[in-house]
Amino acid sequence: MNFTVDMGDLLLTSPLIALFIASLIPLTIKVLKGNIEQKPIATLTQALLGIIAAAGLLVSFGGEGNTAFNSVLVFDGITLWTGLIALAAGAGALILMFENPATRGTQFSELIFLTLSSILGMLILISALDLLMIFIGLEMMSLSLYLMIGMSHEQRLSKESAFKYFVLGSFASAIFLFGISFIFGSSGQTNILQLLESTVQLAQGNQLFLFGIVLVTVGFCFKVSIAPFHAWTPDVYQGAPTPHTAFMATAVKVVSFAAFLRIIAMKPLVGSESLFDILQWLAVITMLVGNTAAILQNNLKRMLAYSSIAHSGYLLVGLLAAGISNNGSFAASGVIFYLFAYSLMTIGSFALVSMMEKTEDHSLDVDDLAGFAKRRPALALCFSIFMLSLAGMPPSIGFFSKFYLFNAAIGEGLIWLAVWGVLNSVISVYYYLRPIVVMYMREGDADVSHAGHFATAITIIVTAALTLLLGVVSGPLLALVEASLV
Amino acid sequence: MILSTLVFLPVLFALILALWPQKNMIRPMALVFSLIHFAVGLIVFQDFDTSTAQLQFVEKHMWIEKFGIQYFLAMDGISFWLVQLTTFLAPLIILASWNSISEKVRGFHICFFILQSAMLGSFLAFDAILFYVFWELSLIPMYFIVGIWGGSRRIYATLKFFIYTMAGSVLMLVAIIYMMYLTQQAFGQMSSNLLDFYKLSIPFIGSDFFSMQTLLFFAFALAFAIKVPLFPLHTWLPDAHVEAPTPGSVVLAGVMLKMGTFCYMRWVLPLFPEASEYWAWIFIMLGVIGIIYGALVAMVQPDIKKLVAYSSVSHMGYIIIGLFVMNHQGLQGGLYQMLNHGISTGALFILIGMIYERTHSREISQYGGLASVLPNFTIFFFIITLSSIAVPLTNGFVGEFLILLGVYKASPWAAGFAVTGVVLGAAYMLWMFKRVFYGEKGPLVADEKHPLIDLNVREFVILVPFVIMVFVMGIFPNHFLKYSEASIDYLVKNKSSYQLTIKGEQ
Repeated sequence: MNFTVDMGDLLLTSPLIALFIASLIPLTIKVLKGNIEQKPIATLTQALLGIIAAAGLLVSFGGEGNTAFNSVLVFDGITLWTGLIALAAGAGALILMFENPATRGTQFSELIFLTLSSILGMLILISALDLLMIFIGLEMMSLSLYLMIGMSHEQRLSKESAFKYFVLGSFASAIFLFGISFIFGSSGQTNILQLLESTVQLAQGNQLFLFGIVLVTVGFCFKVSIAPFHAWTPDVYQGAPTPHTAFMATAVKVVSFAAFLRIIAMKPLVGSESLFDILQWLAVITMLVGNTAAILQNNLKRMLAYSSIAHSGYLLVGLLAAGISNNGSFAASGVIFYLFAYSLMTIGSFALVSMMEKTEDHSLDVDDLAGFAKRRPALALCFSIFMLSLAGMPPSIGFFSKFYLFNAAIGEGLIWLAVWGVLNSVISVYYYLRPIVVMYMREGDADVSHAGHFATAITIIVTAALTLLLGVVSGPLLALVEASLV
Repeated sequence: MILSTLVFLPVLFALILALWPQKNMIRPMALVFSLIHFAVGLIVFQDFDTSTAQLQFVEKHMWIEKFGIQYFLAMDGISFWLVQLTTFLAPLIILASWNSISEKVRGFHICFFILQSAMLGSFLAFDAILFYVFWELSLIPMYFIVGIWGGSRRIYATLKFFIYTMAGSVLMLVAIIYMMYLTQQAFGQMSSNLLDFYKLSIPFIGSDFFSMQTLLFFAFALAFAIKVPLFPLHTWLPDAHVEAPTPGSVVLAGVMLKMGTFCYMRWVLPLFPEASEYWAWIFIMLGVIGIIYGALVAMVQPDIKKLVAYSSVSHMGYIIIGLFVMNHQGLQGGLYQMLNHGISTGALFILIGMIYERTHSREISQYGGLASVLPNFTIFFFIITLSSIAVPLTNGFVGEFLILLGVYKASPWAAGFAVTGVVLGAAYMLWMFKRVFYGEKGPLVADEKHPLIDLNVREFVILVPFVIMVFVMGIFPNHFLKYSEASIDYLVKNKSSYQLTIKGEQ
């Protein structure tokens, strides 16, 4: 092996480098100023500029399927699109962090550093072509997150949440690593490109290899909260500061699904019927658990946590379709579009939750929204759009993303999964409508006196407008994604 | 462009109302807008060709290339009058809401106009996905109208309405997607164009419930049966009607229920001809049960509004049996009855709203002897009652007669049972009329502190068009029937090879 680094590799990885440099700037300035925090707005600006630079570099150099560093990283369509979604979701989360009482103020530059490191880990994760590299990306993303949650100004729930996330996350990582060792042991490879050709045969004949794949799958199921590996999700989502929850629910989920997609694209499902069956039933259970448990929640964040579990279930259906399809790019583009739509709606919903929080340990119940429509009609309308879109009502983006996803599933013959999915979205209507009922149809005094979060409000309005309008013009967007995946 | 204008003009109105600064101008502006909309709707009279079943005023553009989804609006004889009904009712509904909607006036009118748009869209769409978008979209404003401006149990009612209806339609979505794949198999390119759907021949094995056409048929039919609503799926309707504010009830009964029956004519019968014929007995049976059951339940209701709501179940049963006998009279009668029901039940809900505004009660037992206190109101109520029970010379007679004629030709037994509904209909309406308007003065009517005032000018203006329509449609039915003649004729004659073409295109 030679370890020469040429210019092409550096250009390809330039988004990662840019993000790394950007993450250091606020910290360096803080050190140079003698441990005095610069103005948070300056920190935020530097971070956002870093993200924009990374996005720009990703668009200019990535997306053509070139590999870097001896085929360890690849910059193809999956990397490009999920990377952009993760960067945008990260930017949204940063804006929320800037104004949320649990995260603003002291230690903001450290928080920014950790957030950007986490995004850096995500970019490694989605571009990794080697199982070990995937592990490194996963850990870099997660370790930063544990710290971020633990750093919250809120003293009780967030500490518990960080600890829980850490223990379970490490557990999942260990299982994942264990799986990699089985794959390496049975095939002698950790590189996805080299495994690609032999996966189907290996999954058919080699029990050890199959065991490895199952363990890797389980690791991902932890990360994307597929039932029965979802138990950490509601607690962690509720306990973490809301911006971090938004970050986890969107960016983390998007990149985990992207890496999951890479594993699935090796076609282990074609080789092993039983693996397909397992995942199919996991999807069924996940949709049901997420949607029925969400009905029982009063805490808005907990409700959204269960809703995100349910959406993982829908996404898994798309993933299965991609895994057995001969034309994988169609189903995969459906999954990526769904991830985009889901992130858009979820960031917006959490932004509203974040905005309503008065103090760092304020937890928002659905009933706290009573009378909100009267006080803040525009924001209430935005929140209604998010909820209806999450429920999949046309003409929002939520409907079109579900349409593309289930269209792919039906095309692959997974009709009963699609039927199950749409029936579950009927169940979901019940809890998605609840906040709307409370906001519009119940008398009350929603406490909005403190809610002067300007940047957060802008985020909400922009995401709501995109949620409402992008669905109608989503055809070309989907075609673009699909074209880049071939 | 006329159809796009018709469909999207209300959205524009809603936007203007949303942004208009003065609050007290909202109502007059909404009224003017709805009149403009009605006038625009009248333009199609000029160019509509009654001699053909072909699609007219076609607008077709590719929307999502990959799936062959098109923006495709067109009108034919089946949708012609329903579109007119929708725009005709709008100004009357806005006038009727003048006093009853006192809070959040702006929000109400925005919801109302968006609802108009969605309903018109689902009447005019000839693309399955476009249709589905409009179909589902119509739930949202109705959900808000019932939920915000409704009665005391409004939240329960509106959630039930929303979830019930949506549960039916999601399976239709799966069926639509499946049919899109069938078009891909048949023609090489995926399409959700309804005309392409018509060209499909979907395998049908009568004895096998799981044959493809039967499954697709039920996926569609279930969605529409809930909307109609067909017994035993009707339970959301009385709740929604009782809790909805007057204008909400009028739209619901007047237009929204027709979306269900209309879609049987547009989608189910031509798309799945063998299955509809094979399974028609279920629908005829449920329709007949609905007629009798609705009438019997209506008879014992203590609440006038609930009585009218159950009478809707009964009336919609007629339409369903008319459609499923699939002969000329049945279909024509069914279509005519959709309009009649829109007029007469719409007017009944408005009348009930008027009396409710005066007394704040809908309990039949609280009334009695209204005729001597409110003579004008009584006259109007009586005319509409006659129309509702299908007395000759009113519109209801024509529709019911045609339906019964058609049903008799196909199945005398069903006609025999359905006729009892006519008698029962007369019984519950006239009995209600007697208890409310004649006899001893009830506590509300005799209340000296709150003397009841007869109709004012606004209320006259609302009711007169209804009465005119009742008689015009009753005395000159041919003028109305001739618009749908060609389309119905084509549907009956080419049931199994239904292939509409676009006018002016070979």
